[in-house]
Amino acid sequence: MKDVVRLYNNTKKYSRYAIRSAKAELKSEVTDSYLNWLWWIIEPLSFMLIYVFVFGYVFKANEEYFIPFVLIGITVWQFFNRMITGSIKLVVNNRELISKVYIPKYILLISKSFTYLFKLFISFVLLIIIMLIMNVPFSFTMLYFFPILIILYIITFGISCILMHFSVYVQDLANLSDIVLRFLFYLSGVFYNINVRLKGKLGFLMLSVNPIAFLMNEFRNVIIYDKIPNFSGLTFWLVVGLIFTYIGIKLIHKNENSYAKVI
Amino acid sequence: MKKEAITIENLHITYKGLKKTSIRSTFFNKKNRKKIETFEALRGVSFTIDEGKIIGIIGKNGSGKSTLLRAIGGIFSPDIGSIDLHNNTVSLLSIGVGFNKKLTGYENIYLSGLLLGFNEEQVREKEQEIIDFADIGDFIYKPVKTYSSGMYSKLAFAITAILETDIMLIDEVLSVGDVQFKKKSYGKMKELIFTENRTVIIVSHTPKTLNELCDEVIWLHDGKIKMQGDPDKILAAYEKFMNE
Repeated sequence: MKDVVRLYNNTKKYSRYAIRSAKAELKSEVTDSYLNWLWWIIEPLSFMLIYVFVFGYVFKANEEYFIPFVLIGITVWQFFNRMITGSIKLVVNNRELISKVYIPKYILLISKSFTYLFKLFISFVLLIIIMLIMNVPFSFTMLYFFPILIILYIITFGISCILMHFSVYVQDLANLSDIVLRFLFYLSGVFYNINVRLKGKLGFLMLSVNPIAFLMNEFRNVIIYDKIPNFSGLTFWLVVGLIFTYIGIKLIHKNENSYAKVI
Repeated sequence: MKKEAITIENLHITYKGLKKTSIRSTFFNKKNRKKIETFEALRGVSFTIDEGKIIGIIGKNGSGKSTLLRAIGGIFSPDIGSIDLHNNTVSLLSIGVGFNKKLTGYENIYLSGLLLGFNEEQVREKEQEIIDFADIGDFIYKPVKTYSSGMYSKLAFAITAILETDIMLIDEVLSVGDVQFKKKSYGKMKELIFTENRTVIIVSHTPKTLNELCDEVIWLHDGKIKMQGDPDKILAAYEKFMNE
């Protein structure tokens, strides 16, 4: 309980810092590059085109509304991928800062997550536009987008906190995470429908043990297929996410002031 | 009545076997795992400092001076014991606040201010003063990574010096920027030190500076307080000890 109160107080106290730092980071990304903010749109759009070409045309995928289907997959995956990759090395990359002033270390992660959330929202705006163009019917189940996003955020944040802590001590965690992430990417059904391609037990298993595959599937169901989400599954992953977050926060609280001694 | 600004009780800080490791060595090198090296930088330091006092800390290399400052600054947490700052804000002057190098100096002023416990309004009020003091021209609107090391430290000093915290920790003698800036920063530092109500801790190797500035001196030796009290007396004993 103590850790939860501390998390709340710190987040409140440092929220202005986290927001300001995220904004500044996004701004610097824009000013440094040639095409400016267009990158935020070009990036998801080009990935979408690549996957649509390779899997829709070459491999003849026949998922209904394949283009928005892929775009949702990419958006959800990118958020998760960025958070995980970002959390590793986050402490080391901020060596300058944390050896000179106290900051709760997960504030760094929260601030980063704001920039990733921002990009996620851009992708979703893009999705809406594409759905309009393609005449995909809109429905009220789309509103479930928000609770599912919150669950995605919590579970990703929890895993990232734990990884952030271990990445301080374990130097080659990045190598391992690259492999695991690549594996997860193919298992999560970014460009195929697990329910259709892997029928029976295997598909069920993959959707039950991999939160990203599950949440990606839920996003698609509520946004493009007008289906009611799987509430028991969502509750399950919410609880798991909260447990991960609790473990991560506890680890960080216990060790964060030793980070400066290591890096 | 005297008000305490810093209370430190039985402070221990240990650098444990927090060495970096790799996955391979954790799994396959079991021998290494058991050998945890520990180094106690501070072993049982206790003292209190009243508000408005200027305290000097002296000691040879490796005696725990910088560790003590960092612990007071909140960067290291105590392994045993406690540090109570009585809700005062604190900053490590001279090494400044860490910058995010991708961002502009201007943006870093705000981020540093927020980290030092100020809100955006308070930083806005001091913004111009900081920019003037740092005196790095248009570079303030350029990313910090484009700065020369001199400009970097000038801005770092300006931020911590102008955004005045209740407790200031000063590590070593300032050697920031060119001769002109050095003069200016030394003057500013004196002004800050002698402001009433501000509690200052200065770490130094040079007895002369400490004698000039401090009300009281603490002599750290091997992580413990060897002597504490009147500057003249302590510094004389220290110099005698060092010359032996």
